Amino acid sequence: MLHLLEYWAARLLLFGVDLLPPAAACRWAAALGSLWWAADRPRRRVAISNVLRAGVAGDARQARGIGRGAARHMGMVLVESMKSSLVLDDPERMRVDIPCDVAAVLEDPGRGLIVVSGHFGNWEIAGQWLSRYKPVAGISRPMNNPRVQKLALERRQRRAFRMIPKYDPDPGRFLKLLGDGEILALLVDQHARQGTLVPFFGHPAKTHATAAMLHLVTRTPLTFAVCRRTAPMTFELSLSPLIEQQRSGDRNADVEAILATLNARLEAAIRRDPDQYLWGHRRWR
Amino acid sequence: MDVDVAAEVLARLRGVLRESAVEEHDWDAVVAETPIESLGFDSLTILDVLYDVEEEFGIALDPKQVVKTRTIGEIIALLEENTS
Repeated sequence: MLHLLEYWAARLLLFGVDLLPPAAACRWAAALGSLWWAADRPRRRVAISNVLRAGVAGDARQARGIGRGAARHMGMVLVESMKSSLVLDDPERMRVDIPCDVAAVLEDPGRGLIVVSGHFGNWEIAGQWLSRYKPVAGISRPMNNPRVQKLALERRQRRAFRMIPKYDPDPGRFLKLLGDGEILALLVDQHARQGTLVPFFGHPAKTHATAAMLHLVTRTPLTFAVCRRTAPMTFELSLSPLIEQQRSGDRNADVEAILATLNARLEAAIRRDPDQYLWGHRRWR
Repeated sequence: MDVDVAAEVLARLRGVLRESAVEEHDWDAVVAETPIESLGFDSLTILDVLYDVEEEFGIALDPKQVVKTRTIGEIIALLEENTS
């Protein structure tokens, strides 16, 4: 019964988003983000603590401001992802910076690419935009409500961008899709229980090693993507030059080196726009 | 493949699996006919094993070929093919 109620609430929300013009939908989503910030005290505390720990705020007041801004930002991320078709084909709304070495990989249908990002800016818009070159698979954890999950997948999967589950019995699925010349999009900043300890804002954080291991084992090119919002429904997507790590024979050292580079790139993006980051998750456990 | 060579490769492969794998397993019971899917790897632990296999044998395996293998014997054949 609860699942059904959640489903219809989500449908109602989407109906409202679809009716409103983009700018109004974004304002409405930001307001919902503010409401969530005010209502969810535990998450608010986590966010403020994370901002202070990262050292991007001088004091608690400033940290609260960044946290509230980030909550508003996340509301907008949801709406923008649902209305992404307005953005993807409009060069005025989507400025893109792709280095030559990455462009060569994107334009070669036979070569796979690992694109790493974090919960910064609008990472879904980045994945959707990149799917103009080749199919993109993004990993997501299934929602608890299967009806809402189905609805979200219908709305989020655009062009050749698709979501694939985090857990799957086929151990070779990533190797297959990279071998087929697809893009695998991974977020590097979720807490990984079995992950590798790598500094994030100077504090050790358990980090998923998948991107690094795939690069080391398959020699698939690896890049870091940042898709920052410059105005409502307007973005600047930049990909880093290819990140290359020669194998030393020490698997852990190689993985740590790659993950440290990825984390450093994410930190740089966050320092520039701290209110475009998802601070409300427990990154350091 | 020469029987002695195959046995030696299998022994080295068992050693790598023993060192790389996170899950407990009776690696001495692994034979050429053992299906890879019975070894309990996931999409990340398989990468650890592949890295260590390549280091142990000093070769670079083609991931496209690796995903086609179904048994340990097929992995051994792939290693033999890439080392010879």
